Amino acid sequence: MSTGNPSYTNPKPCKHLADYKLRHGLSGYRSLQKLLKTTPNGRTSVEKLDTKIPRCNSCNGFQGRLYFCLICSSVSCSDHTLLHSQSENGHDVAVDIERAELYCCVCCDQVYDPDFDKAVMSKHFMGSPRNKNGDESIGERLVKRRRLGSSVVEELVDLRKSKQLVSMRDRRAKSCYPFGLRGLTNLGSTCFMNSVLQALLHAPPFRNYFLSEGHNREACRKRSVNRLCLPCDIDDIFSAVFSGDRAPYSPAQFLYSWWQHSSNLASYQQQDAHEFFISVLDGIHEKESKSSNRNRDNGDCLCIAHKVFSGLLRSDVTCMTCGFTSTTYDPCVDISLDLDTNNLSPKNTANKPIKPNENSSMSTLLGCLDLFTRQEKLGSDQKLYCRNCQERRDSVKQMSIRRLPLVLCLHIKRFEHSPVRRMSRKIDRYLHFPFSLDMTPYLSSSIVRNRFGNRIFAFEGEESDISTEFEIFAVVTHAGTLESGHYVTYLRLSNQWYKCDDAWITEVDEGMVRASQCYVMFYVQKTLYHKANEDLSCLPISPRRDTFLPIAGCC
Amino acid sequence: MRTSINRPPTPVAEEDEDHQPTLQEIINIKLIESGEKERLKELLRERLIECGWRDEMKALCRAFARKKGRNNVTVDDLVQVITPKGRASVPDSVKAELLQRIRTFLASASI
Repeated sequence: MSTGNPSYTNPKPCKHLADYKLRHGLSGYRSLQKLLKTTPNGRTSVEKLDTKIPRCNSCNGFQGRLYFCLICSSVSCSDHTLLHSQSENGHDVAVDIERAELYCCVCCDQVYDPDFDKAVMSKHFMGSPRNKNGDESIGERLVKRRRLGSSVVEELVDLRKSKQLVSMRDRRAKSCYPFGLRGLTNLGSTCFMNSVLQALLHAPPFRNYFLSEGHNREACRKRSVNRLCLPCDIDDIFSAVFSGDRAPYSPAQFLYSWWQHSSNLASYQQQDAHEFFISVLDGIHEKESKSSNRNRDNGDCLCIAHKVFSGLLRSDVTCMTCGFTSTTYDPCVDISLDLDTNNLSPKNTANKPIKPNENSSMSTLLGCLDLFTRQEKLGSDQKLYCRNCQERRDSVKQMSIRRLPLVLCLHIKRFEHSPVRRMSRKIDRYLHFPFSLDMTPYLSSSIVRNRFGNRIFAFEGEESDISTEFEIFAVVTHAGTLESGHYVTYLRLSNQWYKCDDAWITEVDEGMVRASQCYVMFYVQKTLYHKANEDLSCLPISPRRDTFLPIAGCC
Repeated sequence: MRTSINRPPTPVAEEDEDHQPTLQEIINIKLIESGEKERLKELLRERLIECGWRDEMKALCRAFARKKGRNNVTVDDLVQVITPKGRASVPDSVKAELLQRIRTFLASASI
């Protein structure tokens, strides 16, 4: 299975299509446009012919696929297209009437031409005269936004400073485990905090920022009035954890600062790890954006939290009556996914025995992402106002990812609320997740393109500089109920997995990680992951490779 | 105005004036003209996607293309290979639902 295919390619046209283009250019496509009929759900067909029921010129048949010759407008069924091209010289290119797709009568195969698809697509977007600012469906209002491009990535990946740190080996280190592996003591039901901190400590761009003095402590002390600064405390944790000292560390100062920031969560009660993650990012953002003028002209925040975790989600709402699509963009620092409790049960597909090894009933991360980006029919009680029709209509909503962050945080919504019983409960269902993740199918460009069927269509402002391949580096897992449970983080450093259970860190194998109940997963762009591993590879990996070899003692 | 005497006569589809439209043709015409055919097609698409039939067909196509080699497969090949399998694996419930819809339509169209 080839993974090297980009999301769309321009296939080489066959000789006959090339000849046709040379001779007729785009004039045939343009006159065809008048005959095209579009539907709100993205389908295109050739209609407005002389008869409602097109029939084959040779056999009068009306069933099966029918093809409309681009030169003489005659209709042939699939049995007689070859005949047509043989009897009329040069009448090689035709259009599938039902699907508006190009067909070469001589090659007896479907052919592709971006110009043709462009003509088809513009027919779709022609019918919204009321949108004076131009169609949002094709155009990108926010094309001017400067993307989180490669320059920023290089900045964060400047490892010269952190390489120095690596070469200075601390003689106190009891073992040759990777740098930055240190237990965090539980300060009273704070496993939610420890688990997320472990993930943050090893998010490559985040780690590099703090280890290379990205947060200037001197400048910070002078500026801050109340002497409470979340980034400073995080900086302390980084220094402590990467110092080489392996004894468990107590992030007490950080906990205190965080309580000050999120006073509504300040207690010894158990908290939600994802909620904590969001509030920490918020705390960092608050502090960093105040201290310096860290906003670009286009509104992109430059604080480290947003630089690393912020992406852009796109939401399309399509009117089912006229097809007009309204698009909005929202920044996000994570994506919360519903579990895909698979509807597909083998007994639905007729008369087949249920295969024992069919994984159709297992939830997968890709299934959740599919669910997140699927076209969702909004109920008739949720009719949205369509600008084109100027009234409330049945609509379809679809989410997609416009811009991927450097570190992708995926949160699984493992709880469900029953409004009837007014109870919430946790969903323990096992979720399979991959270690390598390609986000291409969930990008806005892929999702929007697929909406219109089999088209080659350049998506304006398409990202080509940020890669879509991600590698997992941390999984926060949960065991227990909604009210009471325990969080454990698994870290992946230099392709070795470590279990971080508060103060105890142990080497574990892949199987244990795969079998765990994932709650929040952290993926980093593949290029950054491999660079990060290079740093750590300066140190020899544990020679014994024992499983369950504890690094930290008990507290 | 000059006309070319050597030009072959324009081919015309044989018009059989005794040709009575078959029942199938009549129904087809009524379905299309009333727009019911379009609605039935949409319903069928929805049902076939829901029950996983389309994904099955996709998988079959992929397997076939992989076996023959990507560049040796045409759409016509795929259609020929898939059609019998596709027809056979449509769930009975889907067939029943669509038949019911067609019956209702026919009753209302008084054929």
